[in-house]
Amino acid sequence: MVAGERAAVSEILRTEGLTKEYAKKIAVSDVSMSVSEGDIVGIMGPSGSGKSTLFRLINLLERPTRGKIVFDGNEISTSSPDVHLIRRKMALVLQKPSAMNRNVFNNVAFGLQLRQVEKGETERRVSDYLERLGLTESRERNARSLSGGEMQRMCFARSVIVEPKLLLLDEFTANLDPQNISILEKAVRDFVNQGGRAAVVITHNPFQAKRLCNRAALMMNGGIVEEGETLRIFNNPTDERTKAFVSGEMVF
Amino acid sequence: MVDAVTYDVVQITLLSLYVSGSATILGSLIGVPLGAAVGLKEFGGKGLLKTITYTMYGFPPVISGLFIYYIFSRAGPLGDFGILFTPTAMILAQTLLVIPLVAGVTITSVSEVDKNIKNTVLSLGASDRQATFTVIKEAWVGVITAVMIGFGRAIAEVGAAYMVGGNIEGKTRILTTSIMLETRMGHFGYAIGLGVVLLIVACGVFLFMRWLQERELL
Amino acid sequence: MKDKSPLVGIIVLAIVMILLMGSVAIQPGRQRLTLATTTSAYDSGLLEKILPNFESKYDCIVDVIAVGSGQTMEIGKNGDADVLLVHSPASEKQFVKDGYGTSRTLVAYNQFVIVGPESDPAGVSQAVNATDAFKRIYQNGTEGNAIFVSRGDLSGTHTKEKSIWVKAGLNVSTFSNTWYLSTGQGMGAVLDITEQQTNKGYTLSDEATYYTRRETGIIPHLEILNQGDPLLYNQYSVIPVNPDRWPSVNATLATDFVNWITSPEIQNMIGNFTDAYGHKLFVPNAGPGSVAETHTLSSQFQAVIAIRTD
Repeated sequence: MVAGERAAVSEILRTEGLTKEYAKKIAVSDVSMSVSEGDIVGIMGPSGSGKSTLFRLINLLERPTRGKIVFDGNEISTSSPDVHLIRRKMALVLQKPSAMNRNVFNNVAFGLQLRQVEKGETERRVSDYLERLGLTESRERNARSLSGGEMQRMCFARSVIVEPKLLLLDEFTANLDPQNISILEKAVRDFVNQGGRAAVVITHNPFQAKRLCNRAALMMNGGIVEEGETLRIFNNPTDERTKAFVSGEMVF
Repeated sequence: MVDAVTYDVVQITLLSLYVSGSATILGSLIGVPLGAAVGLKEFGGKGLLKTITYTMYGFPPVISGLFIYYIFSRAGPLGDFGILFTPTAMILAQTLLVIPLVAGVTITSVSEVDKNIKNTVLSLGASDRQATFTVIKEAWVGVITAVMIGFGRAIAEVGAAYMVGGNIEGKTRILTTSIMLETRMGHFGYAIGLGVVLLIVACGVFLFMRWLQERELL
Repeated sequence: MKDKSPLVGIIVLAIVMILLMGSVAIQPGRQRLTLATTTSAYDSGLLEKILPNFESKYDCIVDVIAVGSGQTMEIGKNGDADVLLVHSPASEKQFVKDGYGTSRTLVAYNQFVIVGPESDPAGVSQAVNATDAFKRIYQNGTEGNAIFVSRGDLSGTHTKEKSIWVKAGLNVSTFSNTWYLSTGQGMGAVLDITEQQTNKGYTLSDEATYYTRRETGIIPHLEILNQGDPLLYNQYSVIPVNPDRWPSVNATLATDFVNWITSPEIQNMIGNFTDAYGHKLFVPNAGPGSVAETHTLSSQFQAVIAIRTD
């Protein structure tokens, strides 16, 4: 996966040698990757391998020890002015949904309200997403009263409604039943297929990676062990550890 | 039962509301942002600051009164403002008591808001200030509780109000200082009566705030 | 449906506060005199009776602050009051000597009384004077038959009590707290505590507070057992705060107050004043020679005061 191979399609995200060291541990070690428009990249690995920290670095919630991040053509860092405006072009969805103490409509509309989108337009867009994710009936309900699956769908809608260029999903279907998983995976695909955007999905479920992602990477101890097109990774892994992972021998 | 000294119960009730209400508002305007800031940020000495705040819950009102007295006495640094023995001095003394209470309860409420909410809100593109406000809104019920507790402390205290107000009839006499006066003079029945008035007033205030909350105005 | 803004509630509260502020606003305009006095003076009701006369005569408002004697003097030393009405002669003399007060003028005296149980185990009612009474209490106290409750707060009453022990040749610091209770409380509370020492409790009290608590049924078992000794006179004096020290005090109005309270008309009112139960409490004793101490004022204030006394 070299930038040159995809010259015709725009690159959404590139990291170079991204590293994060804490006092007692190296969380992310020299990660270089590239995500292009239309990609859904899966990142797999055992817990503690640094996947979530990588997301936090990309989303500028933490400052890297070393390394560079280029997003949508511009180098970004935590010391960039108006970091929050950069974040507005990304979206981060976590495993545990966190609903704000308001109704479903206002949760989903939050990002639009931040950007001061006009009321009628907000109404239109929110209703559209509520429909797509099967939440129209719950519109007025306080979001805290939703079931786990409904809440996660709401959080997803909340994150993508602002049309970010990069969608970061951290084990976002981990605790859900198959029906919810299917709804959400479809929503991700629909989202990316609208063009001009990409998604990176952290998952511990190799089946999900195969279903959803066109490219996949295995991360261990903060570094990327191997990555490439999903089918190749699963059918022809080169590294021993990748082999162990895809064969199910590696127990996380 | 005949009183040796008389006063207008309505007037002192209104003054009590004014003094303690103002102290609550002032104390909350300072205490809520302070509490939110401490609750949301991680920094060295955060634990110490929280401990100090909670300790100040027990700050004796008379000491607050003494402190304000020394500052605004003619013999003190700000004596020229002539604030001593006026309702303003009472408000200031009570505000000092309200601030730690409001800040402390706000810290607790804000800390209990799911950590992920702040990160989510930030990742949706909120600035630090917007994120803080959103978290305060999430903790809103806790914040209102903090304010109510602050009001309770202010309306019930007497040591500071007596010290810096002087219990001057028609000027700085409030319900609590009147209760002290009546008790001192042995009019226990009157004192209890005034106590009942105070409780009714406090109840009224809390009911009013609940009413506002139910109409989602607060 | 959008959540309504909490701002509305806040605005409502703000309006309420502003309305309240208006309703309790103090009328400006009239001059004010800040009088610091003791709780016993205030609680007797005398000031409430006579002050309106002063307020209308001089078109002003008197702000009365009633606290313990010690606190009253402190307020005077800090210049937070214009004039003091107190009853601690020794402290007052020092106060004027140290330059905090302009002069000390006698106003009136009331009397302390020694109260105790009807059964009077110490035989206080047979004592020939206050000193004798205290000796008897001491005797019985050490034997376990009597208990003395003291103010213990350096108030005028407490100071008087201590002086009687001294006159009786006794050293208070040697008294055991099994029979001598130093409470640090006001007169009313001390009487209540004395009542609780069934058939044993004695204390020194001013008449006004005693009568109030007795008539309202709070201290049904305490009787006045000894009174009348001149040693038990409780002298009230008025002291204007020295304007040389605190230029911000209302010196002219303070001097007016002194002149007024020592005037024959008001002295008469004081003498005729009765509490709610018909007892006359005060004996006015301002008169020629009643200005006990003076402090030389700077010429600036002398001139002003000279004009006013025409």
